[in-house]
Amino acid sequence: MKLTVITPSGVLYDETLDYIVISSKNNGDFAILENHAPIISTIDVGYIKMVKDQKHVFTVVINGVLEQQDNFVTIVAQEAHVGLNKDSAMDHLNAVRQERLEENRRRTMDFLKAEKELKRNIKEAKASKR
Amino acid sequence: MRSMRDIKQRINATQKTSQITKAMHMVSASKLKKAERSIVRFRPLTERLYKSVARVIENDKDISHPILEGRDIEKTVYILVSSDRGLAGPYNASVFKAFQYYIEKHHQSNDEFIVATLGYKAFSFVRRKNYPMLNTEVIQVRDDVQFLDFQSVTDQFIKGYLSGEYDRVIVFYNKFINTLNQEVRYETIMPLEKNPILEALKEEENTRPYRRMYHYEPSAGAVLSQLLPMVIINALYGMVLEAKASEHAARMTAMKSATDNAKEVIRELQLQYNRARQDAITIELTDIIGGANAVN
Repeated sequence: MKLTVITPSGVLYDETLDYIVISSKNNGDFAILENHAPIISTIDVGYIKMVKDQKHVFTVVINGVLEQQDNFVTIVAQEAHVGLNKDSAMDHLNAVRQERLEENRRRTMDFLKAEKELKRNIKEAKASKR
Repeated sequence: MRSMRDIKQRINATQKTSQITKAMHMVSASKLKKAERSIVRFRPLTERLYKSVARVIENDKDISHPILEGRDIEKTVYILVSSDRGLAGPYNASVFKAFQYYIEKHHQSNDEFIVATLGYKAFSFVRRKNYPMLNTEVIQVRDDVQFLDFQSVTDQFIKGYLSGEYDRVIVFYNKFINTLNQEVRYETIMPLEKNPILEALKEEENTRPYRRMYHYEPSAGAVLSQLLPMVIINALYGMVLEAKASEHAARMTAMKSATDNAKEVIRELQLQYNRARQDAITIELTDIIGGANAVN
């Protein structure tokens, strides 16, 4: 069966697999094997174990929808990350998110500071007056 | 008549300004291309989500969810999508104007609504006007905007809607039509009652010759209540992307006309400069001729 993971920044993963195991905080665990009946499910925070030839990788997903029909599994996710190990992948995703928030905060601070300075400089230089 | 040096100085200053505006024009042009690409990439994703919702609803007619049904409106959440920085022509002002016109028409007092802002410009506008605000901190709209950036807002209004605190969410933003045209639009993203995209998809689902029976994990209701907030956040994200493309387009046009104007100004100043130089030469010549005549 074919699995496609789509995020806003494009297709993250697109492979043929033997089976997948979905584990999420809201719905618990279940597996989808070949020729499963059409199914729709959601993942709030969780991971997908993707198995092929006894080897597996994990994709951690935040806010995703899973839809399966005719052996095509599509996962539409707000954020996802592929890793060899579910904990490290999750840690990585969390770290990225945390860093993003930190950076946003820092940018806002810098921005406000710069704005203030600009206003002061305009006042000092009397640039607004002719 | 200004002196030659003054004119030269002004020409230099204008030239420098036009260099900056020209650079900004080119930066915006390349950013616009990127923004357009991300809109194109994002579109199929939203469609798929809407399709999933339509499928769930059509498969089970009895299913209902507060987000799908409208109710009497007491309190509205408005979301203003603006830019962080100015120099984008009428981009921000037109959103604010449309918003102000709308609330003057529809509301008697400020208690009937609350405003969420995306972008620094909108934040300072709402603070200046003293409207009630949903987000107490500035939410910047970066060029590579992500869901995470405005999650604090979406969490709040979805929770507020489900608990009955807010009854409707309307987004004001600039829709990207083409490079020269951006249009201020307002769209209701919550509730999804009479949502045109969803209605069309439901119709399509209904007219199919056969219907696929889906399993829901764990149940149709649970899936729906997870799916609907995601659809709304995605709709908002789509609008933010559109607004981002509009911002770059607006800035591009503004900077283009600034560069053109600078060229015009330089041309006129150059004329003045040449005239002043000619005057100086004439005066010098008459001086020399006068002097020579005096000697003879």
